[in-house]
Amino acid sequence: MPYPTTAALAFRNVTRNARRSAIALIAVGFGIVAMLLAAGFIDDILHGMREETIETHLGHVQITRPHYLEAGLAAPFDYLLPDNWPERQLLEKTNRVVVVSPRLTFNGLISLGDTTVSFLADGVEPDKEKNLAKQLKIVAGQNLSETEPKTVILGQGLATSLGAKLGDKVVLVANTQKGGVNAVEVTVRGTFSTVTKAYDDVALRLPLKTAQQLLRVQGTHRWVVLLDRTESTAAVVAALRQQFDSKKFDIVPWSQLADFYNKTVTLFSRQVTVMKLIIAAIIVLSISNTMMMSVMERTGDVGTAMALGNSRRDMLSLFLSEGLMLGIAGALLGVILGWAFAAVISFIGIPMPPPPGATEGFTAKIRLTPGLTSQALVLAILTTLIASVYPAWKASRMIIVDALRHNR
Amino acid sequence: MATRAPVVQVEHICKDYKLGEETVHALKDISFNIDDGVFLAIAGPSGSGKSTMLNMIGCIDTPTSGKIVVDGTDVSGKTPDELADLRSRTISFVFQTFNLFPVLSAEENVEYPMLRRTDISKSERKERVSFFLNTVGLAKYAGHRPNQLSGGQRQRVAIARALATRPRIVLADEPTANLDYKTGESILSMMKAINRAFETTFVFSTHDQRVMGMADRLVRIEDGELTTLGVRAGNVWKYVKEKDVPIPTSDAEMQQLLKEDPELRRMIMEDPELRRALLDDQSVAGVAGKGGR
Repeated sequence: MPYPTTAALAFRNVTRNARRSAIALIAVGFGIVAMLLAAGFIDDILHGMREETIETHLGHVQITRPHYLEAGLAAPFDYLLPDNWPERQLLEKTNRVVVVSPRLTFNGLISLGDTTVSFLADGVEPDKEKNLAKQLKIVAGQNLSETEPKTVILGQGLATSLGAKLGDKVVLVANTQKGGVNAVEVTVRGTFSTVTKAYDDVALRLPLKTAQQLLRVQGTHRWVVLLDRTESTAAVVAALRQQFDSKKFDIVPWSQLADFYNKTVTLFSRQVTVMKLIIAAIIVLSISNTMMMSVMERTGDVGTAMALGNSRRDMLSLFLSEGLMLGIAGALLGVILGWAFAAVISFIGIPMPPPPGATEGFTAKIRLTPGLTSQALVLAILTTLIASVYPAWKASRMIIVDALRHNR
Repeated sequence: MATRAPVVQVEHICKDYKLGEETVHALKDISFNIDDGVFLAIAGPSGSGKSTMLNMIGCIDTPTSGKIVVDGTDVSGKTPDELADLRSRTISFVFQTFNLFPVLSAEENVEYPMLRRTDISKSERKERVSFFLNTVGLAKYAGHRPNQLSGGQRQRVAIARALATRPRIVLADEPTANLDYKTGESILSMMKAINRAFETTFVFSTHDQRVMGMADRLVRIEDGELTTLGVRAGNVWKYVKEKDVPIPTSDAEMQQLLKEDPELRRMIMEDPELRRALLDDQSVAGVAGKGGR
């Protein structure tokens, strides 16, 4: 039989057997909705984590002197980026760059009354950091301000261990470039938390000018670059690596710095893969069951069709076509329903406890990307087709006389 | 009719199948020819093997041994696909249970067997569908689904479907068994009329007297053996018996035969001309009268 005819017959069989087709569509659609929601949920968590990591402190790209990231903290003064290097201006004019925030990172001791603890400080430009550190949450008080240079904000854990309250005057002590020790008195203007609790336990931030005075240096350690979109990172990094002398600079994308995020993604991706396999298996089982039922119910029809001159091939391609059509329809149905459910769930939001190492819970959504959606479509269509193979083969191998007897 | 080659030649057909441990001999060495344009009934009690015989003529079952030639083609040793092709060109079926496709309308059912025939154009298909639906008197019901039709109407759709491919031979397995008396009657007359009008060969398996009454050929099968071949010329039946059953040469033998064959008896009783032509009225009246009670 010419294939368009078979396809037309399959289409008629599928559309005119509303009940049977509905069962199959529900099975496929349900699987796809389940997969979309589960994968979209995990994707949203990972995406949220990524954006938070980038926007809290990593930025999309960091530019440092070569090897600063490996050895810089031990010898902070050997890796300074002078403020007046022309690359700084070039960087700010680069396409897709939103802000370039210089940071001076150092450690020292912080004292309040009798208590002294060590700290890890970032000297930042408050105006620029406002853009960059959107996800750095001010728990109490206010963020740094250009107009109040002698202030500091403390990580939540650091403030707790120090017993510092808003408005307290604290003393920061650090080594200077020339080997001496310098101190500065600043006022606690606020406390903050980030996604990483270990960081909050030791971190503080102060205006860059104050930090440079404390260390008696010019320049900074990093130029932290925020881009318009995370997806632009690779292109910008490639462009910068061409323009900037690699002997003078390291250009590091966020993905190299976000070790915790990367490991989490690897872990969750495995889980999602396993879940997809399970869903695929469920679809294959339930669809092949439905298809088998459909073939069995129509044993008499198969016998009749073959008696009327249809070949085994005709039967095979008829049932495979029906499977394919059910797969396509079920996939579309599942995707539409999946998007609808995702929209509703995202609108309501899923309250989540603080993730490991974090101090605050968050509200998760279902994040459906075109990539995930097309995966779901392919999964549904392929699994349904695979599930139809055995029943279709079974139908094509029926003994005509036995199949005809089925009608009686 | 006699000048044309037989549509089907059945030569020494045997069919065995396994039922559990035992081998059942469903058909034992059966030979006969089916002439072109005949209205042939394969008669016999249920389980006699008549359906099996019909299935083998229809190339949906294969004999254990022996040879069947359909429309000049020896079908033994053909692959399933070759047989499917032969069926789609040469053979049509009318089933006891009608076997229409429930998802297709009457006209789509009639069109169905033509779909795989690439030699029949779309317009030709449409023409034939309306022609044959008209022939069976269902032009008004073209858009109806089988479940919206009565049993008789369904069987008429099935007949239109069987005729649409213009087959050499239409095989009908107990076509009236699922129909009430009157409907069965009208279906049979219609098939007979079609047989006359289009000279399409019809072969039935049946245990229905009326079918046998309309047939012009009779093949009786009992316990897998061919016991009677009947040929009607005009209104006269001529019986040929094979095997150890002798051909009746005298009235006495004919009476004996009638005693053993209640169906034959009834058939003759119902047809006065046949009765007059074949037998001495009184002797038959005696035997048939006894059986008639």
